[in-house]
Amino acid sequence: MMLASSTGALGALVEAGLLGVELTQVQWYLLLGTAVAVIGMVRMLLTRDLVARLIALNVTGIGSLMIILALAARSAESADPAGSGPGIDPVLSALVITGLVITVAFTGLGAVLIRRIEGFPVTGRRDDPESGGPAQDPEAEQ
Amino acid sequence: MNAPMSLTLFCLGAVVLIPLLASALSVLLGSAARRVLGVLTSAAVLGLSAPILVRVTSGETLELALGGFESPLGITLRADGLSALFLAMTAIVGAVVSCYAAARPAATGKRLVAQTVEPATVTDGDHRAALTEDAPAAWRTGHAGFWPLWLGCWSGLNAVFVSGDLFNTYVGLELVGLTAVALVALGGREAWAAALRYLFIAVLGSLLFLIGVALIYSVTGTLDIIDSGEAITQLAAQGDADLAAVVLALCLISLGLALKVALVPLHGWLIPAHSSAPSAVSPLLSALVIKAALFVLLRAWLWVAGPLPELEILAWVLAGMGTAAILLGSVMALRQSRLKPLIAYSTVAQVGYWFLLLPLLLDPETSALEGQPGTTLEEGAVLAGALSGTVALALGHGLAKASLFLSAGHLKDLYSTDEITELRGAGRAHPMLVMSMGLSAVGLIGLPLSLGFSGKWLLATSAVAAGHYWILVVLVAGTLFSAAYLLKAVAPLLVMSEDDQTALTLPQAQNHPGASDRTLTGKAQLAPFLLGLLTVLTGFLGVWLTGVLEVGAPW
Repeated sequence: MMLASSTGALGALVEAGLLGVELTQVQWYLLLGTAVAVIGMVRMLLTRDLVARLIALNVTGIGSLMIILALAARSAESADPAGSGPGIDPVLSALVITGLVITVAFTGLGAVLIRRIEGFPVTGRRDDPESGGPAQDPEAEQ
Repeated sequence: MNAPMSLTLFCLGAVVLIPLLASALSVLLGSAARRVLGVLTSAAVLGLSAPILVRVTSGETLELALGGFESPLGITLRADGLSALFLAMTAIVGAVVSCYAAARPAATGKRLVAQTVEPATVTDGDHRAALTEDAPAAWRTGHAGFWPLWLGCWSGLNAVFVSGDLFNTYVGLELVGLTAVALVALGGREAWAAALRYLFIAVLGSLLFLIGVALIYSVTGTLDIIDSGEAITQLAAQGDADLAAVVLALCLISLGLALKVALVPLHGWLIPAHSSAPSAVSPLLSALVIKAALFVLLRAWLWVAGPLPELEILAWVLAGMGTAAILLGSVMALRQSRLKPLIAYSTVAQVGYWFLLLPLLLDPETSALEGQPGTTLEEGAVLAGALSGTVALALGHGLAKASLFLSAGHLKDLYSTDEITELRGAGRAHPMLVMSMGLSAVGLIGLPLSLGFSGKWLLATSAVAAGHYWILVVLVAGTLFSAAYLLKAVAPLLVMSEDDQTALTLPQAQNHPGASDRTLTGKAQLAPFLLGLLTVLTGFLGVWLTGVLEVGAPW
């Protein structure tokens, strides 16, 4: 439902672009990136499924990187008033590349944690007579 | 900067790179060698931070372009007063906690040693030989993964503190965030869910910060903190339309960092993460990791954005959230029955103090005393007072909270519970632990002579000078509340005799087989005591602190 309303909003944006306001390419990508980031964020905050949350966080990351790429194109555009040049700001592109590396890192960490949480039997080891002494797992009693 | 690198500039690079190198090296070593390397590294960082602090105190801002590459391509490291102070606090707390973790390997977490689990969770160590073969899976205390993660985290913290540009700040924050998540996860099965929740929040906060940084770059054309601040000041003077983008950027940065620093109502993740982390990790998280986000927030508000009048609403919103944090955090702390969650809620409450200065930044006129004879406050005096008050509160919190969490974790490991009612009378058996809790409580409440007191005093003085009397009310309320919840935590431990009908029966102290038995009662208890002592002794440094912060200040 939420996704539907979000795409509805996107559709409205498209219509606005087609009918009234003239959107440049950069503005279009800025809006798109914002929409992707917001959709990801909302989904991440509202779902309880861990894998879905991780993927939503990825979507948010992609959205924010899209925003930065659009800003990079904007910086190049304003530096070159003709605006049609293929240039893109190298510093912001470097930001995006680093952002991608960090995305890979947190996705991996999140995947490992989710695998451990969901792969571990909920009724833990405390039934096990060899559970390694009372000191090591005090909260397992709960 | 082609001049030969002086020793101090070498230190500036080394405080970041040496922990990083040690982190990578320690992966290759066995668990005993990791402890030695960890202690050596912490001694090295402590030694390297000292010359930086000395040089900055003498009134010099240090700057180093790594490899001789200037910005925008190169990486600039810069240390001013703010950097040096946070660097020093991190070095002290980090070194003491490292020694504690080396003396008590059991405090570094627990791991599952089993045949049924995937090999990745089984780290080879000396404990493995002792494992009985017929146990299919068992939790063993001590996790050698602590050392690479903590040293990496330390490197990230130092990178944030000496970073000269916004993007390296982001990389440092991300390094701190990811290693902190992994450190929480060392706490075993209960901690995994908390760690994952922390991961989501930390990454979301970093992404918001990154978008803000990109916006600032696209407006100012530079990532350098000082250059972008100058560019924004020029834009403000011209009344440029791009200023709206700066305001949006500051909103995003503040929201992202408020998530990471756990400002109410964004604090939900902090309680499980800090209270389920291992005994040696909680003090690091509470004393250091959230300080990185606070440091960046101060940089963004004071150095990058300057006092833009357009930010007034945001400043008041954040200060309102800070006030709510002090009240709500304290009330929630009073309602806890266990030691570690109580201390975690106290962190939530203390975070609020650091946001009270924001309205002062935008309205630094000494309106209240204007026109009165004999009051000639110089330009920037209010700002300087508010900033040094806030920094003193943050540094004092770092020392005190590290000590408090260390002692609480130690007690929890001793009695395998942190229910306050069950720990009644623990002061009899462990006077030094409870003494250090008392000392850090003095610091957190802000009783005179502690750094917390200096901070509150400086903040209150500048608040009065600027006519913001509401800050006084918040400070007094916060002080009373913190006294209440800390007394609730510490007083039952001090019961000496059976003055009422309830018998004083401590739970059976745990008797670990082997070496960990001795480490629980041995010299490891000195670590929280030392930090507690420092909390009180540093109270004399209030004036010195204001002087150091003047170095490289934006006014």
